Amino acid sequence: MEISKELDKLLKKVEKPARYIGCEINSVIKEPQPGMLRFGFAFPDTYEIGMSYMGLQLLYHVMNKEETIFCERVFAPAMDMEDCMRRENMELFTLETKTPVRNLDFLGFTLQYELSFTNILNMLDLGGIPLLAKERTEEEPIIIAGGPCAYNPEPLCDFIDVFLIGDGEELLPKAVKLRRKGQTKEEYLKELCKLSGVYVPAFYEPEYYEDGRIKEIRKTWEHAPDTIERALVRDLDAAEFPQDLIVPFIEVVHDRAVVETFRGCTRGCRFCQAGMIYRPVRERKPETIKRLAQAQLDSTGHEELSLLSLSTSDYSQFETLATELVGMCREQNVSLSLPSLRLDSFSFKVLEEIQGYKKSGLTFAPEAGSQRLRDVINKGITEEDIYSAVKQALELGWNHVKLYFMIGLPTETQQDLDGIAEIAKTIKAINYELKGRKGGRFNVTVSVSNFVPKAHTPFQWEAQDTEESFRKKHDYLTKQLSVKGITFNYHDTEISRLEAVFARGDRQVGKALARAFELGCKFDGWSEHFNGAMWKRAFEETGIDPAFYAQRKRSYDEILPWDRIDPFITKAFLMRENERALQEITTRDCRQGCAGCGMNRKAECMPEEDK
Amino acid sequence: MSQYTIKFSKEGYICYTSHLDLLRLFKRAFKKAGILLSYSQGFNPHPKMGFAQPLSLGYSSISEYLEFETGQEYEPGFLLSRLKAQMPEGIHIASCEKSEGSKKSLAARSVAAEYVIGIPLKEMPEEDGKALCSQFLSQKEIRVLKRQKKTKAMKEVDIKEKIQDLNFTIAGENLLIWAKLDSGSHSNLSPELLIEAVKKLCPFMADRNEIGVMRTKLIFEK
Ligand code: SF4
Repeated sequence: MEISKELDKLLKKVEKPARYIGCEINSVIKEPQPGMLRFGFAFPDTYEIGMSYMGLQLLYHVMNKEETIFCERVFAPAMDMEDCMRRENMELFTLETKTPVRNLDFLGFTLQYELSFTNILNMLDLGGIPLLAKERTEEEPIIIAGGPCAYNPEPLCDFIDVFLIGDGEELLPKAVKLRRKGQTKEEYLKELCKLSGVYVPAFYEPEYYEDGRIKEIRKTWEHAPDTIERALVRDLDAAEFPQDLIVPFIEVVHDRAVVETFRGCTRGCRFCQAGMIYRPVRERKPETIKRLAQAQLDSTGHEELSLLSLSTSDYSQFETLATELVGMCREQNVSLSLPSLRLDSFSFKVLEEIQGYKKSGLTFAPEAGSQRLRDVINKGITEEDIYSAVKQALELGWNHVKLYFMIGLPTETQQDLDGIAEIAKTIKAINYELKGRKGGRFNVTVSVSNFVPKAHTPFQWEAQDTEESFRKKHDYLTKQLSVKGITFNYHDTEISRLEAVFARGDRQVGKALARAFELGCKFDGWSEHFNGAMWKRAFEETGIDPAFYAQRKRSYDEILPWDRIDPFITKAFLMRENERALQEITTRDCRQGCAGCGMNRKAECMPEEDK
Repeated sequence: MSQYTIKFSKEGYICYTSHLDLLRLFKRAFKKAGILLSYSQGFNPHPKMGFAQPLSLGYSSISEYLEFETGQEYEPGFLLSRLKAQMPEGIHIASCEKSEGSKKSLAARSVAAEYVIGIPLKEMPEEDGKALCSQFLSQKEIRVLKRQKKTKAMKEVDIKEKIQDLNFTIAGENLLIWAKLDSGSHSNLSPELLIEAVKKLCPFMADRNEIGVMRTKLIFEK
């Protein structure tokens, strides 16, 4: 079927047809040459979400810079489009040239969140590609996956040929260029797995105890590496970064220029996977950042600029950079958006300069309701910090405060829940104090997420709360927070449980995933699409007990499914951090002194003078 | 302050972008091209720029107009070449002209539009195009259901008066309709309603999603 001809009819039927047309400014079309490697960058969610993700723009840019590679984009079609495609037997296609994905050499999925896993299966299926790696022939593309969830790739091992672990901008083009015509997939994978960061699941095979724990992860090919060391870009300043961002026609989640200022985080929050797997901190120089920002604005015409990192204010020369960017943006009529600022007096000064900021409200993420529990999770924010920032903000005319908490954290008690309500109420009281009995228009939003233990974090051995317990806590907080001027919302319990199953799942859970897909599960992260009953059935029919993965505390000597993946953070460090957590001992930000995570064996952590 | 009008076409996949998408696209194009637009006064200033008539999503057109006002004077040829360089595939800017002062905007002056509508036929009709057309126009009233803007309810309306000129041709297995319809703030008829009305006469038409509509001309009062 010639897709481009048929597509026209479908586009007249679906919502937001521009999601499927490509042709955007700065998208790349190459004349296919013999020997050119065709790569589909697949984002397992809708266009609007995928196009707001910087990693896609970055990898698209580095891949297309290679003369021998043509990288195109593929997104999960929305439900209405999928229905049309299935009815008309139209296969999943690339945006750029409307090529069926089955005809590509590679299809590479980015794994940003566990709840997109069913979408991956659905996209393979829509592309007419057999789901199971072992059922695919030499004809089908090689299926690659990378991104944060690849740090525990096991739930997807049945479906993916090769995982890339760690920074992708150098590894991905290198891996793809190794592919040669005439070489079998197996030959290719054997050669490929010599690169660090490459995990070929077929070369490993777990064995289980009767109770389901892993007994051993054997190698099935003796030359496969014992551990998969993550790929690491040591010099971020010299690394590639896109200047010619693709500019979507339709409004997407984030329509803006964005420059990554640094990668990694030194704070050491014990629940945070990103804080562990992206170490050490690697910065771009201020001049590089400004140059890239200007180049992006010039090539896109965007009217907003943002910075990307795990914590904006931790950039070593943040004040200088922010001041300069504020000036640069003002001159060019561009609005600057600085996410996740630490709210000190400098930030307020900057925010005052940035127009329209107050609308979005003042955001804090204390994560836990008491100082004790914040010490357990090593979140270095005190109530004093929050209240003094709120006071300043109120004086400057803000009227909306947003608070983010997690519940179900290890050692949590009733007092910690009460603490959440107290913080919200105290903030309201501060407003009354400053503005009198009426307090003016003022709102506090409390958002509560459910703690999901993640691989490669100090809490990787901990149990997730039961659904019953989460529900009780939600009910309790709902009562505590049904106060005028406070908005309370919380995440869906079942969805968080599912996330926990895949975050620490082994290869067995892949069966439940495949079954759930067959039963029609997709877009699981969207509460309006999540189908709890079908997931329950999928687990039952495949004999997988979700509680075994989500709610079971592991012992330190248990073999974990992701043990062969080496993020350069030692297990000893993670254990030590977990023990300190239980003793309520904090660990300082490692800019103030190395915490001994093991990273410095492999790379230079920030040089002393930059700290 | 200077006013300009560009004329452009919109064809191919880009037809699936909306009126608002296109406004955003032009806004960014001006920014990239370094052309400084005038901004409206007020709390939420926006650039002074607007289309003569919005084009429905999915329609192509060879006759679109964008009017804009710049803070300084530019050579129209300069604007043309600068803007052309910023356009994505499917949008072709044909001309740029300086507008004479103090006239009403094109949007306010727009009175009619011409369309070509291509309808694949599932079955060939017995009559030729001309006969079909006069049969269609010989109806005393041409009534179709139209969704009311405010109430969202469907209401039957007579569209006959709003059809200024009409011509049917059978070409291969397609019915080609050439239509000149009211198009402006005073009186307006969407080709969608015309298609609905023709469908009553020719039940052998293909489904809506196989029908293509192109705007070929916009007509303005002096
Ligand atoms: S090795 Fe030390 S300084 Fe480097 S990231 Fe780990 S704790 Fe921080």
